[in-house]
Amino acid sequence: MEDLTLKLKEQIIEALNLEDMEPDEIETNEPLFNEGLGLDSIDALELIVLLEKNYGIKIENPKDGQKIFYSLKTMAEYIKEHQIN
Amino acid sequence: MLIYEDDYLKSVKPNYKDFMKPIEARRMSKTVKNGIICSQIAMQQAEITIPDAIIFGTGLGIVSDTEKFLEKMLIDKEQFLTPTSFIQSTHNTVAGQIAGRIKCHNYNFTYVNRGFSFESAILDAMMHLKEGKKNILVGGGDEITDHYYHIIKKTGLWKQNTLQNTDLLNHDTPGALCGEAVSFFVLSDDIKQETYAELKDLKMFYKPKNVFEIQNTITDFLKQNNLQNSDIDLIITGHSGNKTDDEIYDTVLSSEFPETPSAYYKHLCGEFQTASAFALWLGANIIKIQEFPDFIKLNDKTSKKLNNVLIYNHYFNINHSLMLLKKVES
Repeated sequence: MEDLTLKLKEQIIEALNLEDMEPDEIETNEPLFNEGLGLDSIDALELIVLLEKNYGIKIENPKDGQKIFYSLKTMAEYIKEHQIN
Repeated sequence: MLIYEDDYLKSVKPNYKDFMKPIEARRMSKTVKNGIICSQIAMQQAEITIPDAIIFGTGLGIVSDTEKFLEKMLIDKEQFLTPTSFIQSTHNTVAGQIAGRIKCHNYNFTYVNRGFSFESAILDAMMHLKEGKKNILVGGGDEITDHYYHIIKKTGLWKQNTLQNTDLLNHDTPGALCGEAVSFFVLSDDIKQETYAELKDLKMFYKPKNVFEIQNTITDFLKQNNLQNSDIDLIITGHSGNKTDDEIYDTVLSSEFPETPSAYYKHLCGEFQTASAFALWLGANIIKIQEFPDFIKLNDKTSKKLNNVLIYNHYFNINHSLMLLKKVES
């Protein structure tokens, strides 16, 4: 799980172009949106594409996004459960 | 001055973290970030928070994001497309992002007129001042990518060999040294303690037939400003290293300004469509501090004062421009 979390942090940094950030600057349990990392709806689209492109996971119901993308930890758990590739 | 040898001159990156959080900078290309920082410094120095207008000139816009978007389309076979690069690739991103950050809802315009992009922005700003606006934030800039550099190199516009920037004028070869930069200024309708210089006049002329037309245009331009060629204390030219283009500058200097100190600047920033913005920054600083360094000198002539500085630039003998700067009395 730790490996996946680190990999995911690196992928998020690349996908969201957070070039001045290091993986350890993203807190695993902190919210990704609003008060946490401060991501917004455009970033949400980037994360949806990240999941589909890198892990073959398609989010069918947009309402699930809130739970899946709550934090890095929830994202990693979801990937672990649903990963195809 | 930085000395280096490369295919093209890359702008020096400031420490972005000193100016914005990484999360704020995540969708910004180098030009957008540099533009925001530059404009922030210009407004701080001019002691304004919200300008009456934001005007930017760019030849290429945010070409790095355009490439990113197109590359993603190709690699992912038009699947998995996200909007970020597309949104950021538009030419008006710099002016738009600046306005968004400072919540400025005033006039916001971007000129994309190739080698006249920055000059058009300046002209617009000058007209706004004449109409009664007080402070205009105006800038110009372009960025270079590897793709853009290599494509244009094939057309012969850029030097075919790498060279050290300080040797720019020592190579008798065609092609210019490619580069990039972003510059921002605040044009105001009054003189303050912080004012660098007065931008007295600007002229653009397109594809002159011959060097006589250029010589006459310069003389007429100065006459319109009640000056003679001999009144110019320093002329800054856009020598780019491209032999045929530089011969135009050399002819003008030797025939019209034989006793005038002259300087060049494209060994510092390279050639690009808005390079004259860098020249304006340089000229304004020279007037402010009343001296200029040896490494920009083209000749050994000296002047006791630096009251009138003329900037003459052309982009591959197509877009020619003149900017006249005058010292302000504080």
